[in-house]
Amino acid sequence: MSAAATETPTGGIVVRDILKQFPGVVANHDVNLTIRPATVHALIGENGAGKSTLMKILYGVQKPDGGTIEVDGRPVHFSSPTDAIKVGIGMVFQHFMLADNLTVLENVVLGAEKLFGIGEKARAEIQRISNAYGFGLDPDVLVEGLGVGQRQRVEILKVLYRGAKIIILDEPTAVLVPQEVDALFVNLRELRNSGHSVLFISHKLDEVLAIADDITVMRRGETVGEADPKTATKKQLAELMVGSELPSPETEESTVTDHVLLDLNDVGLVDENDRALLSKISFQIHRGEVLGIAGVEGNGQEELVETIMGMRKGTGTIQLDGKDIASWDTRDRREAGIGFIPADRHRHGLLLDAPLWENRVLGHQTRKPSSNGFLIAAGDAKSDTERIVSEYDVRTPSITTHARALSGGNQQKLIVGREMSGDPVLLIASHPTRGVDVGAQAAIWDHIKRARREGLAVLLISADLDELIGLSDTIEVILRGELVGRFDPRTVTPQDLGEAMTGGKS
Amino acid sequence: MNGPSVNGTKVLRTLAQALLAPLIAVVVSVIVTSIVVVIAGASVSDFWNVILTVPSHRNLVNITNQSSMLFLAALAAAIGFRMNLFNIGVEGQYAVGAFVGAVVAGTGFFPGKLNVVAAVLAAMVAGALWAGIAGLLKVTRGVSEVISTIMLNAIAGTLIGYLLNNHGQQYGQGRRTTPIPESSQLAGWTPWDAVDGSIWTLTILAVLAGLTMSFVISRTRFGFDLRATGQNENAAIASGVKVKRMVLISMLISGAIAGLVWMPALFGQADYYGPPFQHQLGFTGIAVALLGRNRPLGIAFGAVLFAWLSEQANPLALVADISPSIVQITQGVVVLAVVVAYEVVRRWMAAHEQRELKVALGAEARA
Amino acid sequence: MRRLSKIAVVAVVASLALTGCGKNNDKTGNDGKSNANQDVCKTAKGDGPKVGLAYDVGGRGDQSFNDSAYAGLKKAVEDLKATCVTGEAADGEAESARETRLKDMADAGLNPIIGVGFAYSDAVNAVAPNYPNINFGVIDGFDPDTKPNANVAYLGFAENEGSYLVGAAAALKSKTGQIGFVGGVHNDLIKKFEAGYVAGAKSVKADIKVDVKYIEETDLSGFGDPAGGKAAAAAEYQAGADVVYHAAGASGSGVFEAAADAGDGKWAIGVDSDQYLTAPANEQPHILTSMLKRVDVATFNMIKSVSDGQPLTSYQTYDLAHDGVGYSTSGGFVDDIKSQLDDLAAKIKSGEIKVPVKP
Repeated sequence: MSAAATETPTGGIVVRDILKQFPGVVANHDVNLTIRPATVHALIGENGAGKSTLMKILYGVQKPDGGTIEVDGRPVHFSSPTDAIKVGIGMVFQHFMLADNLTVLENVVLGAEKLFGIGEKARAEIQRISNAYGFGLDPDVLVEGLGVGQRQRVEILKVLYRGAKIIILDEPTAVLVPQEVDALFVNLRELRNSGHSVLFISHKLDEVLAIADDITVMRRGETVGEADPKTATKKQLAELMVGSELPSPETEESTVTDHVLLDLNDVGLVDENDRALLSKISFQIHRGEVLGIAGVEGNGQEELVETIMGMRKGTGTIQLDGKDIASWDTRDRREAGIGFIPADRHRHGLLLDAPLWENRVLGHQTRKPSSNGFLIAAGDAKSDTERIVSEYDVRTPSITTHARALSGGNQQKLIVGREMSGDPVLLIASHPTRGVDVGAQAAIWDHIKRARREGLAVLLISADLDELIGLSDTIEVILRGELVGRFDPRTVTPQDLGEAMTGGKS
Repeated sequence: MNGPSVNGTKVLRTLAQALLAPLIAVVVSVIVTSIVVVIAGASVSDFWNVILTVPSHRNLVNITNQSSMLFLAALAAAIGFRMNLFNIGVEGQYAVGAFVGAVVAGTGFFPGKLNVVAAVLAAMVAGALWAGIAGLLKVTRGVSEVISTIMLNAIAGTLIGYLLNNHGQQYGQGRRTTPIPESSQLAGWTPWDAVDGSIWTLTILAVLAGLTMSFVISRTRFGFDLRATGQNENAAIASGVKVKRMVLISMLISGAIAGLVWMPALFGQADYYGPPFQHQLGFTGIAVALLGRNRPLGIAFGAVLFAWLSEQANPLALVADISPSIVQITQGVVVLAVVVAYEVVRRWMAAHEQRELKVALGAEARA
Repeated sequence: MRRLSKIAVVAVVASLALTGCGKNNDKTGNDGKSNANQDVCKTAKGDGPKVGLAYDVGGRGDQSFNDSAYAGLKKAVEDLKATCVTGEAADGEAESARETRLKDMADAGLNPIIGVGFAYSDAVNAVAPNYPNINFGVIDGFDPDTKPNANVAYLGFAENEGSYLVGAAAALKSKTGQIGFVGGVHNDLIKKFEAGYVAGAKSVKADIKVDVKYIEETDLSGFGDPAGGKAAAAAEYQAGADVVYHAAGASGSGVFEAAADAGDGKWAIGVDSDQYLTAPANEQPHILTSMLKRVDVATFNMIKSVSDGQPLTSYQTYDLAHDGVGYSTSGGFVDDIKSQLDDLAAKIKSGEIKVPVKP
């Protein structure tokens, strides 16, 4: 702390009139941003507003087509991240880039061996940084044993170790539970107090108001305004971001029936080393009920979904509408009426290089209108794709466009439309609004509400606690592969859930 | 949303994609090959003169016959490639199929043409089983099919050699299987003089197999599952495709088609499996599959091109005194040029499509 | 990214498959024959016989079989004023390609037409009846069917006899009591080499151990695979053999490399032509002798017979008695045992020793 406090505040950035064009698309234009030294500057905007592009330009990953960047008053030109690091700009990505089987020390020095070597000097420097900002990291533990919040601190430490004065954080809170967010903010304030500047990218307005000294708002590739967090309200920021008030996920009155549709009893799953991934999972979903699963990512949500889908073989019983489906394969289960919106649509939901109508067929290969006996019914599939495109507002020039060309939101709407086809009785929606814009988010929420009204049972998994609380009839919390708490969304607060998600007060 | 302009550009794009990549590939191949010819110290004009001359009658017959075998070999490889299964073992599978087919035909157990049917089926089964070993190893033990099929190629060669040396019929300095009875030999069709040879009857197998696979891959549920698995295995699993079963089935189909490869030659010319057996078709087939981008029609073009080049190697040595090895280099260059050209054009097209989408949606938003 | 690397893998595999075999030809074509680079057919302008010579895989420059045929052809150009056209087999080529090569030569009016290597047997048998006025010769050839061809000569060699002599030389020179044999392809022809070699070695040292390896079972690429030859020979040297004899065509260059790598006191024996003369300098001290198979004599005789108007037909055997086989003395490494070898040669010629043809 004392060492850091003596440093004079440097690290101001002035960005003027940045222009970045991709073939046919203007990703950034008229972007102006001034980061004062020793401040936390928040950059907000909805998905696709151009935040990532600006961030990549600041970090030297992409070159701007116009405009200037000045660091501490001097104009700079980056042709690679190495140049950015040289002038003191460091970046922490949303997806951590750490090697699990290496220690904190090894991860930090990797690629920066020339700075302090790889031995005692490096260890001392890591210790010094960790102590100065209250990171509480032990250089010699393996990264695989660290939690998400700690891993994030390792990433920040990596950047500081390389001498960064300006730290760009890309949606740092997306992967954290509320308690971890608080801890991160403590660290960020320490950094600010010691003279570092932080560019904090987010779309969570509460957090932005809590931490930022300045706020810049982006919309459609340009900076549309600045706000003072002391006086600005969430409503004002939201309006700047989308031009109108944010939609809310709140659901209508209960439609829960007493007809049990999905019944899991003592479901367990182990990995190849016999480590438990899921254990003693039991719950029921009724027709017309949305069951939400809350949890920090990586606590068994994916495994649970894949077990219900038959993509993994677990133990225990799974009944769908009274029939034991534990021995059925994925196709049988889909035919029995399970619709599935996967968490990672590129990985599990789409054939990116196939036309939309073929993506309509995916998962419905054995059912009309996609197929007719052993043949694919291209004509019927195409006309049904037209139906989905218009009913679910998928913005595409044609149904022969490749899925890859669509934006995330439109891809997701296509998937939702597909999974709602063929009269499903159960919808499994895993992070259904992740990475989609506000408009698509509202539409997808509406579709889930409609599914509930129509008497489907819905299993909803989400990292967005507002979404869970707003849409669910019941919330279960999953931790290390077990269900550890059951909450009523009408009374629960995000703090309660966060506590349960991390295993109590820690 | 589906205005005429969109359809217009679509047609244009399809046309561009269909023509642009091959055009780039041809230009690149011609340039690179010419450079190789110069480095080899031969005359570039002689080289292209010979290669581009209309082939003689007998060469045309040979090109047709060779194309049919190359097509089958490439089709066998392509089935696997379409689902990201790198069956490098067509070489071994067609050798095993050819040997078994020749043995069955040689016994003459069935009379006349029935013998042909029996031998062809036996060859398919043998090829399928040989490929099935690799498929089984992959789904049960997770052994990479690249490794196992390469190993099986070597084992196939050794096994056939052993059987031939110990049970084959003495044949000059070598051994062969019992020749097939005259009643089962298929004369084929002689378009010109007898001395120019005849087009083998069973080249029809290539046409049949091509049409069948083309239909299966593009029109059937199985074909959809196969393509889906190739494009995105995880999504295929999530959609209900049993990937392990698909791996096994496609290896079996691939091997069965590989078993057909040499059947045209067996009944049309060779009459037995022995020293004149044509090796390397399996490996060349991989190159042809790449050339044809795993599509039956593309493979057909590729097979004809390769057969053409190989046949012109003879006059190349006789007329222009250029080593036939140059032709093999040319074939390699063509494959690389095609692979690279298609990837470049694909990326260009993807960027173009994205751009078009943005423009279309932007116009819509403004309207 | 992933997609591209996938394509790259396949492309590499495919190009390996395509070029893997071609490279051998190029390699052997380049070393140690700078003065022989000019093909005599390019300059020949005589009024003698017009010869068609169809090489086996490897072509001119294989320092072995094909080169030996070329030597005979060259002699014919010089002595008989012959002119010539040559063709070359490609690896993995179709039977029809061989036939076409011969037919094209026949159509060009060449006579005689000689196929180098037994692989031409079928092709000649199929083509010859169409051209009754042209004479064909097949080195190592045989008639595949029962219908005799009046215009074809099958030029065979008593390789077992020549191999017997180099086998004896190997046994006499071996200090470890263990010698090796590397065959290109495991067929009856190459087994004949093996049989003679083993018998010759045992005739001077009854308890000698002979390691036998073949590069390929049936695939003719075993004659054009120096890497395979090297691997087989290296294994034999490692196992204790100090003399290795190869009957593997162009693959033999690998055997010589292995001998040079194995160090002093390790010998290799060449085949077909005097390979001491064409080997690189660092391998020459390791080439004990070569079993000479006078393909040049057979080729020349065939051309001469046509030139003389009395074409050879049917089976012709070139044995020790007819100078068809023998052993080379270049390098002088067998000078000390020459008298013993010549004794054995005399006994074979007189029929006192019967050399087996099968192992």
